[in-house]
Amino acid sequence: MVQFNLPDNSKLTDGDYYKSEKSTGNTKKFKIYRWSPDDSKNPRMDTYEVDLDDCGPMVLDAVMKIKSEIDTSLTFRRSCREGICGSCAMNIDGTNTLACTKAISDVKGDIKIYPLPHMPVIKDLVTNLKTLYKQLKSIKPWLMNNKQNANDTENIQSRNDREKLDGLYECILCACCSTSCPSYWWNSDKYLGPAVLLQSYRWLQDSRDEERKERLKELDDTFKVYRCHTIMNCTQACPKGLNPAKAIAGIKQMIAQQ
Amino acid sequence: MSAKNTWKLHRWSTILLLPLVAFLFIKIIHLSALPYQLILSEFSNLWGVGFILIFTVLGLIHMNTGVHEILDDYVHSDVVKKILNLIISIFFLLILIFVCLSLLLIFIG
Repeated sequence: MVQFNLPDNSKLTDGDYYKSEKSTGNTKKFKIYRWSPDDSKNPRMDTYEVDLDDCGPMVLDAVMKIKSEIDTSLTFRRSCREGICGSCAMNIDGTNTLACTKAISDVKGDIKIYPLPHMPVIKDLVTNLKTLYKQLKSIKPWLMNNKQNANDTENIQSRNDREKLDGLYECILCACCSTSCPSYWWNSDKYLGPAVLLQSYRWLQDSRDEERKERLKELDDTFKVYRCHTIMNCTQACPKGLNPAKAIAGIKQMIAQQ
Repeated sequence: MSAKNTWKLHRWSTILLLPLVAFLFIKIIHLSALPYQLILSEFSNLWGVGFILIFTVLGLIHMNTGVHEILDDYVHSDVVKKILNLIISIFFLLILIFVCLSLLLIFIG
């Protein structure tokens, strides 16, 4: 059965409190989930006071400031700091989003930061995305075209066909959508989830791809696609403003028309 | 049945049930003002029996596919799922038998 309660060793406890040395009055509390595989302790919520007058405007700026100035043991992923790489995806103020594009000023009160929900935690805010990448691989996210380009000519795509990929190719695979989907929480081993299905739809919509039938045949499974119940959390969560729910509806339509 | 056909069946039964449910609502309001004997006579003609049968069969198909969806979502053990599926199928079959017998009794008076 689906597990609705947290196991005892996953229950959160109160952690350490790091007070700001400079007290300018413009401070904000960041409550951050901490867990390390190196000890057998339960996860805890550490609280850090951050002086906003000496910090960048985004949540990632604050988290990086905490790591470099307050607690070097804090672990998280980050790279581009401009919403392109998707590394800093985390649950901030109850919503899955990118820490680099979430402004501190958008959150009222204390800022609570957790790792992406329902994913195995490697350490602190770093989650294990192995299953997601395995699922991505299973949909063959590359162009499958068996035509021999003997003359090495360009594989031309009309403007209209190219436009069909808008709203799909922009996905950065941050996993904010998949990890906000209750269906993915319950069946992440079998349901592909919104992120992977959006990618799948991107290749199904590509006019240059020749394996559309095979791709659809692969997807016609009780679990791979049909666990989507149009909850729309994915669309709500997507930090890039994409609509994975619409893509999944598109896949269902394509399978039905086949 | 393939996943695609199950999904189609669920959607089609939803679409077909919409006007039937609306009609049933109106019918119930209309029948509530009638005496018992007149209500019986409303269901003892072929139209009445046909409507109730179609509504019951479509409703059971819709419920059956819906419950299977819920089981697929939340029950991960194949054995438990099979047992629950069997119980549900028996339950729906009993409902169908009950409705058919009731209609037969009304029809033959």
